Amino acid sequence: MHISIYRYDPDSGENPRMQDYAIELAPGDRKLLDVLMRLKDVDDSLSFRRSCREGVCGSDGMNINGRNGLACMTSLSALKEPVVLHPLPGFPVIRDLVVDMTQFFAHYHAIKPYLIDDGTPPEREHLQTPEQRERLDGLYECILCACCSAFCPSYWWNPDKFIGPAGLLQAYRFIADSRDTGTVERLAFLDDVYRLYRCRTIMNCTEVCPKGLSPSHAIERIRLELVRASS
Amino acid sequence: MKVFLGQRAWLVQRASALTLLLLVALGAALLLLGPALNHERWHALATSAHGAVIIVLFFAALSLHGWVGARDIVLDYVPSTAARLSVLSIVAAILFAVVIRVALTMAAHLSPVS
Ligand code: SF4
Ligand code: SF4
Ligand code: FES
Repeated sequence: MHISIYRYDPDSGENPRMQDYAIELAPGDRKLLDVLMRLKDVDDSLSFRRSCREGVCGSDGMNINGRNGLACMTSLSALKEPVVLHPLPGFPVIRDLVVDMTQFFAHYHAIKPYLIDDGTPPEREHLQTPEQRERLDGLYECILCACCSAFCPSYWWNPDKFIGPAGLLQAYRFIADSRDTGTVERLAFLDDVYRLYRCRTIMNCTEVCPKGLSPSHAIERIRLELVRASS
Repeated sequence: MKVFLGQRAWLVQRASALTLLLLVALGAALLLLGPALNHERWHALATSAHGAVIIVLFFAALSLHGWVGARDIVLDYVPSTAARLSVLSIVAAILFAVVIRVALTMAAHLSPVS
Protein backbone atom coordinates (compact mmCIF):
# COMPACT_ATOMS: atom_id res chain seq x y z
CA MET A 1 0.00 0.00 0.00
CA HIS A 2 1.26 3.49 -0.91
CA ILE A 3 0.85 6.20 1.66
CA SER A 4 1.92 9.81 1.38
CA ILE A 5 2.18 11.54 4.74
CA TYR A 6 2.62 15.18 5.68
CA ARG A 7 5.85 15.53 7.65
CA TYR A 8 6.80 18.56 9.66
CA ASP A 9 9.27 19.01 12.47
CA PRO A 10 9.42 22.61 13.66
CA ASP A 11 12.71 21.98 15.49
CA SER A 12 14.50 20.99 12.27
CA GLY A 13 13.89 24.39 10.69
CA GLU A 14 12.85 22.66 7.47
CA ASN A 15 9.66 23.28 5.55
CA PRO A 16 6.85 20.75 5.73
CA ARG A 17 7.06 18.05 3.06
CA MET A 18 5.16 14.96 1.93
CA GLN A 19 6.88 11.65 2.52
CA ASP A 20 5.94 8.57 0.54
CA TYR A 21 5.83 5.16 2.16
CA ALA A 22 5.23 1.75 0.63
CA ILE A 23 4.16 -0.98 3.01
CA GLU A 24 2.91 -4.53 2.53
CA LEU A 25 -0.44 -5.13 4.16
CA ALA A 26 -0.38 -7.76 6.92
CA PRO A 27 -3.25 -10.26 7.20
CA GLY A 28 -4.64 -8.53 10.30
CA ASP A 29 -4.70 -5.01 8.83
CA ARG A 30 -8.24 -3.70 8.67
CA LYS A 31 -8.11 -0.02 9.48
CA LEU A 32 -5.80 2.79 8.49
CA LEU A 33 -4.50 3.00 12.06
CA ASP A 34 -3.20 -0.58 11.84
CA VAL A 35 -0.96 0.45 8.97
CA LEU A 36 0.14 3.67 10.67
CA MET A 37 1.18 1.73 13.77
CA ARG A 38 3.29 -0.62 11.68
CA LEU A 39 4.80 2.35 9.82
CA LYS A 40 5.76 3.77 13.18
CA ASP A 41 7.75 0.56 13.85
CA VAL A 42 9.72 1.18 10.66
CA ASP A 43 10.09 4.95 11.02
CA ASP A 44 9.80 6.01 14.63
CA SER A 45 10.13 9.69 13.76
CA LEU A 46 6.56 9.59 12.40
CA SER A 47 4.19 11.28 14.87
CA PHE A 48 0.45 10.89 15.27
CA ARG A 49 -1.94 10.57 18.19
CA ARG A 50 -3.93 7.49 19.00
CA SER A 51 -5.17 5.75 22.07
CA CYS A 52 -8.30 3.61 22.11
CA ARG A 53 -7.98 2.43 18.47
CA GLU A 54 -11.75 1.91 18.33
CA GLY A 55 -13.39 5.28 17.78
CA VAL A 56 -13.90 6.23 21.40
CA CYS A 57 -11.09 8.56 22.48
CA GLY A 58 -11.19 10.90 19.49
CA SER A 59 -7.43 11.38 19.33
CA ASP A 60 -6.58 10.17 15.82
CA GLY A 61 -8.57 12.66 13.77
CA MET A 62 -6.70 13.50 10.57
CA ASN A 63 -7.30 14.42 6.97
CA ILE A 64 -7.47 11.22 4.93
CA ASN A 65 -7.57 11.65 1.15
CA GLY A 66 -9.04 15.10 1.59
CA ARG A 67 -11.63 14.14 4.17
CA ASN A 68 -11.37 14.37 7.94
CA GLY A 69 -11.82 11.11 9.79
CA LEU A 70 -10.51 8.80 12.46
CA ALA A 71 -7.69 6.55 11.30
CA CYS A 72 -8.98 3.78 13.55
CA MET A 73 -12.45 3.90 11.95
CA THR A 74 -11.31 4.15 8.34
CA SER A 75 -11.34 0.85 6.50
CA LEU A 76 -8.31 0.20 4.32
CA SER A 77 -10.47 -1.45 1.68
CA ALA A 78 -12.32 1.79 1.02
CA LEU A 79 -9.20 3.89 0.48
CA LYS A 80 -7.87 5.01 -2.88
CA GLU A 81 -4.09 4.80 -3.31
CA PRO A 82 -1.85 6.55 -2.68
CA VAL A 83 -3.49 7.35 0.65
CA VAL A 84 -2.71 11.01 1.36
CA LEU A 85 -2.61 11.98 5.03
CA HIS A 86 -2.58 15.54 6.34
CA PRO A 87 -3.07 16.92 9.83
CA LEU A 88 -6.54 18.34 10.60
CA PRO A 89 -6.90 21.39 8.33
CA GLY A 90 -6.92 24.81 9.95
CA PHE A 91 -5.31 23.64 13.17
CA PRO A 92 -1.74 24.64 14.10
CA VAL A 93 0.60 21.71 13.49
CA ILE A 94 2.82 20.61 16.36
CA ARG A 95 4.52 17.85 14.44
CA ASP A 96 3.54 15.64 11.48
CA LEU A 97 -0.11 14.63 12.06
CA VAL A 98 -0.25 16.01 15.61
CA VAL A 99 -2.14 19.31 15.87
CA ASP A 100 -2.55 21.83 18.65
CA MET A 101 -6.06 21.44 20.11
CA THR A 102 -5.72 24.24 22.71
CA GLN A 103 -8.15 26.61 21.04
CA PHE A 104 -10.58 23.85 20.21
CA PHE A 105 -10.80 22.84 23.88
CA ALA A 106 -10.93 26.47 25.01
CA HIS A 107 -14.17 26.77 23.02
CA TYR A 108 -15.41 23.56 24.58
CA HIS A 109 -14.74 24.88 28.09
CA ALA A 110 -16.36 28.21 27.22
CA ILE A 111 -19.76 26.56 26.69
CA LYS A 112 -19.61 25.15 30.26
CA PRO A 113 -19.71 21.45 29.42
CA TYR A 114 -21.27 20.34 32.69
CA LEU A 115 -24.70 20.35 34.29
CA ILE A 116 -25.72 23.62 35.89
CA ASP A 117 -28.30 22.98 38.59
CA ASP A 118 -29.39 25.91 40.74
CA GLY A 119 -32.16 23.98 42.47
CA THR A 120 -31.91 21.85 45.57
CA PRO A 121 -29.87 18.80 44.75
CA PRO A 122 -31.99 15.65 44.67
CA GLU A 123 -31.63 13.15 47.49
CA ARG A 124 -30.23 10.56 45.13
CA GLU A 125 -30.03 10.99 41.37
CA HIS A 126 -31.84 13.29 38.93
CA LEU A 127 -34.62 11.35 37.32
CA GLN A 128 -35.45 11.68 33.65
CA THR A 129 -38.34 10.29 31.68
CA PRO A 130 -37.36 8.11 28.73
CA GLU A 131 -38.41 10.99 26.44
CA GLN A 132 -36.18 13.47 28.24
CA ARG A 133 -33.31 11.05 27.99
CA GLU A 134 -33.99 10.50 24.32
CA ARG A 135 -33.42 14.18 23.59
CA LEU A 136 -29.74 13.65 24.36
CA ASP A 137 -29.35 11.00 21.70
CA GLY A 138 -27.17 12.21 18.86
CA LEU A 139 -25.54 14.70 21.21
CA TYR A 140 -23.87 12.84 24.06
CA GLU A 141 -21.99 10.50 21.71
CA CYS A 142 -19.58 13.22 20.56
CA ILE A 143 -15.97 12.24 21.26
CA LEU A 144 -14.48 15.68 20.57
CA CYS A 145 -12.30 14.42 17.75
CA ALA A 146 -12.54 17.83 16.01
CA CYS A 147 -13.10 16.27 12.59
CA CYS A 148 -16.14 18.53 12.19
CA SER A 149 -14.64 21.83 13.33
CA ALA A 150 -11.55 21.17 11.21
CA PHE A 151 -13.81 20.69 8.17
CA CYS A 152 -15.88 23.83 8.72
CA PRO A 153 -14.97 26.80 6.51
CA SER A 154 -16.45 29.20 9.04
CA TYR A 155 -14.16 27.74 11.69
CA TRP A 156 -11.16 28.08 9.38
CA TRP A 157 -11.87 31.82 9.04
CA ASN A 158 -12.63 32.57 12.67
CA PRO A 159 -11.14 29.81 14.85
CA ASP A 160 -10.57 32.28 17.67
CA LYS A 161 -14.14 33.59 17.85
CA PHE A 162 -16.51 31.04 16.30
CA ILE A 163 -17.15 28.19 18.71
CA GLY A 164 -17.38 25.73 15.86
CA PRO A 165 -19.65 22.72 15.29
CA ALA A 166 -18.16 20.50 18.01
CA GLY A 167 -18.49 23.12 20.75
CA LEU A 168 -21.97 24.09 19.60
CA LEU A 169 -23.16 20.49 19.53
CA GLN A 170 -21.92 20.18 23.11
CA ALA A 171 -23.61 23.45 24.02
CA TYR A 172 -26.91 22.12 22.75
CA ARG A 173 -26.34 18.85 24.58
CA PHE A 174 -26.68 20.82 27.86
CA ILE A 175 -29.44 23.11 26.62
CA ALA A 176 -31.46 20.02 25.71
CA ASP A 177 -30.82 18.34 29.07
CA SER A 178 -33.91 18.38 31.29
CA ARG A 179 -31.72 18.41 34.41
CA ASP A 180 -29.87 21.57 33.44
CA THR A 181 -31.18 24.90 34.70
CA GLY A 182 -28.64 27.07 32.92
CA THR A 183 -30.47 27.38 29.58
CA VAL A 184 -31.04 31.15 29.82
CA GLU A 185 -27.42 31.90 30.60
CA ARG A 186 -26.22 29.44 27.96
CA LEU A 187 -28.40 31.02 25.27
CA ALA A 188 -27.33 34.52 26.27
CA PHE A 189 -23.71 33.46 25.86
CA LEU A 190 -24.36 31.97 22.43
CA ASP A 191 -26.37 34.89 21.03
CA ASP A 192 -23.33 36.40 19.42
CA VAL A 193 -22.50 37.17 15.84
CA TYR A 194 -19.22 35.26 16.14
CA ARG A 195 -19.81 32.48 18.64
CA LEU A 196 -22.92 31.03 16.99
CA TYR A 197 -23.89 33.05 13.95
CA ARG A 198 -20.71 32.49 11.94
CA CYS A 199 -22.30 29.17 11.00
CA ARG A 200 -23.64 29.41 7.44
CA THR A 201 -25.24 26.01 7.39
CA ILE A 202 -22.63 24.69 4.99
CA MET A 203 -23.12 21.31 6.74
CA ASN A 204 -19.59 20.03 6.20
CA CYS A 205 -19.66 19.16 9.90
CA THR A 206 -22.58 16.77 9.59
CA GLU A 207 -21.18 15.33 6.40
CA VAL A 208 -17.87 14.43 7.99
CA CYS A 209 -18.61 13.40 11.59
CA PRO A 210 -17.18 9.89 12.04
CA LYS A 211 -19.76 9.19 14.74
CA GLY A 212 -22.65 10.05 12.42
CA LEU A 213 -23.76 13.02 14.50
CA SER A 214 -25.26 16.22 13.13
CA PRO A 215 -23.75 19.39 14.61
CA SER A 216 -25.58 21.52 12.02
CA HIS A 217 -28.89 20.17 13.27
CA ALA A 218 -27.90 21.01 16.86
CA ILE A 219 -26.93 24.52 15.72
CA GLU A 220 -30.33 24.95 14.08
CA ARG A 221 -31.97 23.89 17.35
CA ILE A 222 -29.95 26.49 19.27
CA ARG A 223 -31.13 29.17 16.84
CA LEU A 224 -34.73 28.07 17.30
CA GLU A 225 -34.32 28.05 21.09
CA LEU A 226 -33.01 31.61 20.84
CA VAL A 227 -36.01 32.65 18.78
CA ARG A 228 -38.32 31.04 21.32
CA ALA A 229 -36.49 32.69 24.21
CA SER A 230 -36.76 36.14 22.66
CA SER A 231 -40.42 36.00 21.70
CA MET B 1 -22.05 47.19 23.76
CA LYS B 2 -22.48 44.71 20.98
CA VAL B 3 -21.99 46.44 17.65
CA PHE B 4 -22.79 43.43 15.52
CA LEU B 5 -25.97 41.70 16.52
CA GLY B 6 -26.33 37.96 16.36
CA GLN B 7 -29.88 36.80 16.46
CA ARG B 8 -31.59 39.88 15.06
CA ALA B 9 -29.45 39.94 11.93
CA TRP B 10 -30.15 36.27 11.42
CA LEU B 11 -33.89 36.86 11.77
CA VAL B 12 -33.75 39.77 9.33
CA GLN B 13 -31.93 37.54 6.88
CA ARG B 14 -34.52 34.76 7.16
CA ALA B 15 -37.53 37.09 7.10
CA SER B 16 -36.25 39.06 4.11
CA ALA B 17 -35.51 35.83 2.23
CA LEU B 18 -39.05 34.66 2.87
CA THR B 19 -40.47 38.01 1.79
CA LEU B 20 -38.44 37.87 -1.42
CA LEU B 21 -39.71 34.40 -2.14
CA LEU B 22 -43.34 35.41 -1.57
CA LEU B 23 -42.99 38.58 -3.65
CA VAL B 24 -41.38 36.70 -6.52
CA ALA B 25 -44.22 34.16 -6.43
CA LEU B 26 -46.79 36.95 -6.28
CA GLY B 27 -45.11 38.87 -9.08
CA ALA B 28 -44.86 35.77 -11.23
CA ALA B 29 -48.53 35.02 -10.67
CA LEU B 30 -49.48 38.59 -11.63
CA LEU B 31 -47.35 38.43 -14.76
CA LEU B 32 -48.38 34.99 -15.92
CA LEU B 33 -52.08 35.21 -15.22
CA GLY B 34 -53.87 37.56 -17.51
CA PRO B 35 -53.38 38.81 -21.04
CA ALA B 36 -50.22 38.60 -23.11
CA LEU B 37 -47.14 40.34 -21.77
CA ASN B 38 -46.56 43.25 -24.09
CA HIS B 39 -45.23 46.69 -23.34
CA GLU B 40 -48.63 48.08 -22.35
CA ARG B 41 -49.21 45.28 -19.87
CA TRP B 42 -45.75 45.70 -18.30
CA HIS B 43 -46.34 49.41 -18.06
CA ALA B 44 -49.79 49.06 -16.56
CA LEU B 45 -48.54 46.57 -13.97
CA ALA B 46 -45.54 48.63 -12.98
CA THR B 47 -47.50 51.85 -12.62
CA SER B 48 -50.44 50.32 -10.78
CA ALA B 49 -50.55 50.80 -7.01
CA HIS B 50 -50.15 47.11 -6.15
CA GLY B 51 -47.39 46.67 -8.75
CA ALA B 52 -45.49 49.61 -7.27
CA VAL B 53 -45.87 48.28 -3.74
CA ILE B 54 -44.57 44.88 -4.78
CA ILE B 55 -41.58 46.39 -6.54
CA VAL B 56 -40.65 48.73 -3.67
CA LEU B 57 -41.10 45.97 -1.09
CA PHE B 58 -38.99 43.67 -3.23
CA PHE B 59 -36.10 46.09 -3.34
CA ALA B 60 -36.42 46.87 0.37
CA ALA B 61 -36.27 43.16 1.26
CA LEU B 62 -33.42 42.68 -1.21
CA SER B 63 -31.47 45.49 0.43
CA LEU B 64 -31.99 44.12 3.92
CA HIS B 65 -30.95 40.67 2.78
CA GLY B 66 -27.95 42.09 0.96
CA TRP B 67 -27.02 44.10 4.04
CA VAL B 68 -26.78 41.02 6.28
CA GLY B 69 -24.89 39.14 3.59
CA ALA B 70 -22.43 41.98 3.04
CA ARG B 71 -22.00 42.34 6.81
CA ASP B 72 -21.18 38.62 7.05
CA ILE B 73 -18.57 38.91 4.32
CA VAL B 74 -17.03 41.97 5.98
CA LEU B 75 -16.96 40.23 9.38
CA ASP B 76 -15.04 37.33 7.86
CA TYR B 77 -12.68 39.06 5.48
CA VAL B 78 -12.12 42.59 6.76
CA PRO B 79 -10.45 42.41 10.17
CA SER B 80 -9.53 46.08 10.69
CA THR B 81 -12.22 48.19 12.36
CA ALA B 82 -11.58 51.27 10.25
CA ALA B 83 -11.79 49.32 6.99
CA ARG B 84 -14.92 47.56 8.20
CA LEU B 85 -16.56 50.84 9.00
CA SER B 86 -15.79 52.32 5.59
CA VAL B 87 -16.85 49.24 3.63
CA LEU B 88 -20.07 48.89 5.62
CA SER B 89 -20.89 52.59 5.27
CA ILE B 90 -20.43 52.40 1.51
CA VAL B 91 -22.59 49.27 1.29
CA ALA B 92 -25.29 50.82 3.48
CA ALA B 93 -25.28 54.04 1.46
CA ILE B 94 -25.59 52.16 -1.84
CA LEU B 95 -28.37 49.87 -0.61
CA PHE B 96 -30.26 52.78 0.92
CA ALA B 97 -29.88 54.85 -2.24
CA VAL B 98 -31.19 51.99 -4.36
CA VAL B 99 -34.36 51.65 -2.28
CA ILE B 100 -34.98 55.41 -2.25
CA ARG B 101 -34.38 55.63 -5.96
CA VAL B 102 -36.80 52.78 -6.68
CA ALA B 103 -39.43 54.26 -4.37
CA LEU B 104 -39.14 57.72 -5.96
CA THR B 105 -39.28 56.30 -9.46
CA MET B 106 -42.34 54.22 -8.69
CA ALA B 107 -44.07 57.17 -7.02
CA ALA B 108 -43.32 59.45 -9.94
CA HIS B 109 -44.82 57.05 -12.44
CA LEU B 110 -47.80 55.92 -10.45
CA SER B 111 -50.82 56.17 -12.72
CA PRO B 112 -53.51 58.46 -11.24
CA VAL B 113 -56.26 55.84 -11.53
CA SER B 114 -55.66 52.67 -9.60
S1 SF4 C 1 -19.51 16.10 16.44
FE1 SF4 C 1 -18.59 14.31 15.49
S2 SF4 C 1 -16.87 15.13 14.31
FE2 SF4 C 1 -17.47 16.69 15.74
S3 SF4 C 1 -16.11 16.41 17.49
FE3 SF4 C 1 -18.02 15.30 17.91
S4 SF4 C 1 -17.65 13.23 17.19
FE4 SF4 C 1 -16.05 14.50 16.31
S1 SF4 D 1 -23.12 23.83 9.27
FE1 SF4 D 1 -22.16 25.51 10.35
S2 SF4 D 1 -20.82 24.56 11.80
FE2 SF4 D 1 -21.34 22.98 10.27
S3 SF4 D 1 -19.69 23.08 8.75
FE3 SF4 D 1 -21.31 24.43 8.14
S4 SF4 D 1 -20.78 26.47 8.90
FE4 SF4 D 1 -19.59 24.94 10.00
S1 FES E 1 -7.67 5.91 18.41
FE1 FES E 1 -9.27 6.56 19.71
S2 FES E 1 -10.71 7.35 18.29
FE2 FES E 1 -9.21 6.52 16.99
